[in-house]
Amino acid sequence: MLRPFALHRPGTAEEACGLLARLGDDAVPYAGGTELLLLMKLGLLRPRHLIDVKRVAGFDAITDGARLTLGAAVTHRAVERSPLVGRHCALLAAVARHVANVRVRNVGTVGGNLAFADPHSDLATLFLTLDATVELVSGRGRRELPLTDFVRGAWETARAPDELLASVRLTPWPSGTAATYVKFGVHERPTLGVALALCRAAAGARVGEARLAIGCVDARPARVPAAEARLTGVAVAELEDVAGAVAEAAAAAVDPADDLHGSADYKRAMVAVFVRRALRIAAARARGDVAPAARFPHAVVA
Amino acid sequence: MSARPLRVVGRPLARIDAIEKVTGRARYVTDLVLPGMAHARVLRSPYAHARLARVETGRARALPGVVAVLAGADLTWCDPYFGPAFRDRPILAIDVARHEGEPVAAVAAVDEATAAAALELIDVDYEPLAAALTLEDALAPGAPLVHTREPLAGHFADLSSLRPRPGTNVCHQFHFARGDAATALASADLVVEDTFRFPAVQHYAMEPHAAVAAWDETGGLTVWASTQNPYSVRVELAKMFDVPLARIRIVVPHLGGGFGSKTYAKLEPLAAALAHAAGRPVRLAASAAEAFQTVRRCSARVTMRVGFGGDGTLAAVHCDAQYDVGAYADIGPRVVQKATYTATGPYRVPHVDLGGAAVYTNTTPGGAFRGFGVPQLAWALESLFDVAADRLGRDPIDLRRHNLLGHGEAFAPGDTPIDGKFEESLGRAAEAIGWTLAGAADRGRGLATMLKASIGPSVSEAIVRLHADGSVSVLASAVEMGQGTRTVLAQIAAEVLAVALARVVVVTPDTAITPYDQTTSSSRSTTMTGRAVQAAAEDVREQLLRVGSEALGLPASDLALEDGAIVTATRRLAYPEVLARRFGMAGGELIGRGVVAPGRSAAPLGGSTPFWEMAVGAAEVSVDEETGAVSVERYVSVADVGRAVNPLLLEGQDEGGVVQGLGHTLFEEMAYADGHLLNGTLLLYRVPRADDVPALECRFVENADGAGPFGAKGAGEGSLVPVSPAVANALARLTGVRLRDLPLTPERVWRALRARERRAPGAI
Amino acid sequence: MIDAGARVPIRLVVNGRARELAVATHALLLDVLRDDLDLKGAKRSCDSQVCGACTVLVDGLAVSACTYLAVEADGCAVLTVEGLAEGDTLHPIQRAFVDAGAVQCGFCTAGMLLTARALLDEHAAPTREQVLHYLRGSLCRCTGYRKIVEAIVAAGGGDR
Ligand SMILES: Cc1cc2nc3c(=O)[nH]c(=O)nc-3n(C[C@H](O)[C@H](O)[C@H](O)COP(=O)(O)OP(=O)(O)OC[C@H]3O[C@@H](n4cnc5c(N)ncnc54)[C@H](O)[C@@H]3O)c2cc1C
Ligand code: FES
Ligand code: FES
Repeated sequence: MLRPFALHRPGTAEEACGLLARLGDDAVPYAGGTELLLLMKLGLLRPRHLIDVKRVAGFDAITDGARLTLGAAVTHRAVERSPLVGRHCALLAAVARHVANVRVRNVGTVGGNLAFADPHSDLATLFLTLDATVELVSGRGRRELPLTDFVRGAWETARAPDELLASVRLTPWPSGTAATYVKFGVHERPTLGVALALCRAAAGARVGEARLAIGCVDARPARVPAAEARLTGVAVAELEDVAGAVAEAAAAAVDPADDLHGSADYKRAMVAVFVRRALRIAAARARGDVAPAARFPHAVVA
Repeated sequence: MSARPLRVVGRPLARIDAIEKVTGRARYVTDLVLPGMAHARVLRSPYAHARLARVETGRARALPGVVAVLAGADLTWCDPYFGPAFRDRPILAIDVARHEGEPVAAVAAVDEATAAAALELIDVDYEPLAAALTLEDALAPGAPLVHTREPLAGHFADLSSLRPRPGTNVCHQFHFARGDAATALASADLVVEDTFRFPAVQHYAMEPHAAVAAWDETGGLTVWASTQNPYSVRVELAKMFDVPLARIRIVVPHLGGGFGSKTYAKLEPLAAALAHAAGRPVRLAASAAEAFQTVRRCSARVTMRVGFGGDGTLAAVHCDAQYDVGAYADIGPRVVQKATYTATGPYRVPHVDLGGAAVYTNTTPGGAFRGFGVPQLAWALESLFDVAADRLGRDPIDLRRHNLLGHGEAFAPGDTPIDGKFEESLGRAAEAIGWTLAGAADRGRGLATMLKASIGPSVSEAIVRLHADGSVSVLASAVEMGQGTRTVLAQIAAEVLAVALARVVVVTPDTAITPYDQTTSSSRSTTMTGRAVQAAAEDVREQLLRVGSEALGLPASDLALEDGAIVTATRRLAYPEVLARRFGMAGGELIGRGVVAPGRSAAPLGGSTPFWEMAVGAAEVSVDEETGAVSVERYVSVADVGRAVNPLLLEGQDEGGVVQGLGHTLFEEMAYADGHLLNGTLLLYRVPRADDVPALECRFVENADGAGPFGAKGAGEGSLVPVSPAVANALARLTGVRLRDLPLTPERVWRALRARERRAPGAI
Repeated sequence: MIDAGARVPIRLVVNGRARELAVATHALLLDVLRDDLDLKGAKRSCDSQVCGACTVLVDGLAVSACTYLAVEADGCAVLTVEGLAEGDTLHPIQRAFVDAGAVQCGFCTAGMLLTARALLDEHAAPTREQVLHYLRGSLCRCTGYRKIVEAIVAAGGGDR
């Protein structure tokens, strides 16, 4: 059961931002509502005005160019099925396919996921390896900032109350990139997400650049530069040799807390385990192995 | 009756309510709408234990649209206490709230939104009290007392022997001894002993509790309730509101699952009180989150010592079981008593010393849940059996077989002898899981058994009516909660009366119409209600034959019933004609009555079990050693059911039981911190999903040796009980690691595996 | 803008029948279907998009009606369990559920059927894996799922 609110359905970003500015604390953006309506049903949030962002022109678009742009109101389902996403970043489509359940994917949006900044999210973790930036609009203008700066902590972002998240921009990996995303956990939301991309790492070559992001265990997802450094320049055939060091570096970089998902020790150990596994999968992909996809209990491999 | 092959019983028929369910027409309590019906909401305690210094409802009462507001102090016009074991649970907290989520005040209003708004206008001053949150807390010397005065005796005579231990949190203790366990253990060749823990688990019946209550102009009360035992609810309401039984009507539409969560009164007293105060019908529908605060499975700590002779013969079992029954006893004391009595499982044990205690804590009340206390004890016993087999160098199946009670053997003096063939179940399970075949190196197999008594003594009555057109009504009060009881009862009546299943209607339980039935629980309906229906149908059959015999001028022994008619070698008299002969017109009906009332016996619990529920489970598991994630790859359940009245439904029951068992084996646990439930919603409480289900085979042993109709006996709980020990035994055989605490979460298993590595580097 | 508390007219086609209604912005689709249209087939259980008991199809897509504003369905076709059968003829997926014994208490059934229907609309003959993937958000506490999965695969013409 929800409490009454006024619903605004602006058709342009200007209009939407004007409403946010004018209504201040009383208003919140509303997309699919999969998070927002839950909070409102519980009475944890009681906005007087909802600003529907789904009709804002351009917000539901997926476009390509130098970068792949996902409008804030693009649903997980649309990401999963988009030919453009498939062409530029097939792994993203595969990850979208495993977000939540089919109903949440049908209505939940990319923008809602990022703006809500739940620590147990898949997208932000993966996006960090795609050098994501987010575009924010307000009556004061537009700004673009790196996703790392946007997500500040658990349920905390750099978005000002009068700003809307307009889109997220991704830089697709260069060709010859081997990548994977692995998530693990028995709960409804993932306990751990590991995104790994080995760029310019064709069979027989050396890893040109590595990107590793860990999500869900800390308040916000983060890249692991120390681990990435251990991977860069390593011959694809020898990746296994550094797996231990990379996993260790990743485990050392996280600072988890004890909670329902497990103890801090356990989570840190799982970071090491799944970084190693992700590396093995990505290395196999780099070598062009067409071995059947790895399967681990309570884990999803994309 | 000449023995003829069964036509309806024993066949895998689609359930008779399937069409209404797949078309969305089946009605559940929350689907009902009454004219003028108000909607209720409940204000619940945020504290595990608190004194209610002030509950101010004035502002809520003044809100337009509010039709009733109640707090504990307002309930002076009725007896506000209820509970089957003790009347320790108030409709709304009086002076003290004893668990987080306990109802403190309630509002009925024209709609739910208004009721919710009114709740926010109720001011409560809580004075937090020291709380006993765990078994350890509650049993410690000087522990905060959950109840400070001795609770009132319950309304049920068969539970009147229960006694709390004054000045402690122990609300009931049960002891059962035979022989001299201490001496036998002292001289046993092998004694295995350990302490096992079983978590608090939420039933999560998909339909949360709901009740719609309405008082009528005669002072009568009707409650449409999601309850498994309308007649128990009726007794409680009659006493609480001082209304004769005949003026109380409990109607039970379809239940969206029960699993024990809907036994005995839950929300019905509050709905009735609100309807009384409001002077109009009130609908009280709990949310799923509120169900978590209403009832749960009793968590337990079980210390067991099991002694064997050198040849593997069981010498003695000592058991000390503590069950956490939460803030109100509900049926917890009986859970403890009944389960402790059968703590030795299906084995022959000369010396037993079995103790069980029900302990109050400041948490959600614990009550009945599929298995009724037995899973907690089987977890200990069946784990220890494998430990013993290891120590004795025996095959675990072999060791069990060596000690099994045989068909017809006494379980305890005065109680029903064992009425099934365990040997056969064990053999079938072993074969199906491929026990003696070499398995993959990364798989482990384990097995466990269970034995459970049903409720005794217990009473079931039924009425069967044969109408002028030859169709049949079955009136019985066994509740359809998904287990298929309506279909099974219809099959029994159709079989006896030789009519098509489609011609039989099973009437919705309604205490004003359908006769007494004690409870829909304890896997008893097919046996007890089924026998009552069978007897009632046989009564109709006798009447038919009497009329037919007169009409045809032949002795009844020359007549048979076939296809809705009385037949002889040469003649056929359809039922409508028989009835027309009987009444001389196209009206009237034949009414048959069936009663099953075994009464009290010399059995240790005061009544013999009508049958023994017996099952064996075998699991094949693998483990991801790096994460501790256990995968149950295959599972076989074999239940000794006497006869499967409907194999399709029974298979479904057992499949559901296994998967529910996998829940508490692998993930499920209500987690508390500082008296707050941390995972009281499905976003955080994980129940099994479709992709958790192993390759699953549920099979039956059928020797038609049960006490129910056509040799059937109860089933549906058995498949759940062996799951945890079977999985843990498989895990132990695979990894050498023995876990004592459920659930076997990845982290718990991972920790155990790491501890093993530290103990024995390099060992597997 | 639609004011708080104001009722907005919406037009839907529910189970093939055009409906015009006035709903508040905060009305949930589940409540509108159940209370205003008396379609009680969709159930409320978890109320948090996890269990699927409230599943209905909006323009062919499965949504959790417990957490979906009714105004969002304006102009859409809504399919509930009541609209699956054609008159007295069950939809093949309903038939398959009946025959496979995939129904027990029935509280999850409407959601299961509609989820299956959406899956079959996408993949006429789904594999077991596809079925399991689609059922990630559909819980059943009674059946143990085996017969449900079997029924959906069978309805798609696949092996049992
Ligand atoms: C049961 C369940 C399981 C889930 N499992 C997963 C999972 O496995 N992995 C995963 O990654 N996620 C998971 N999620 C999260 C899911 O991805 C998000 O719920 C969804 O993407 C949110 O999108 P929405 O459009 O519904 O957001 P809304 O609920 O509409 O909004 C969410 C928040 O973002 C704000 N907001 C929305 N759009 C904008 C905008 N354009 N600009 C500024 N602020 C905005 C809102 O004000 C609100 O605070 C799960 C969710 C649920 C309910
Ligand atoms: S009730 Fe909507 S998903 Fe559970
Ligand atoms: S049949 Fe009861 S929840 Fe699925």
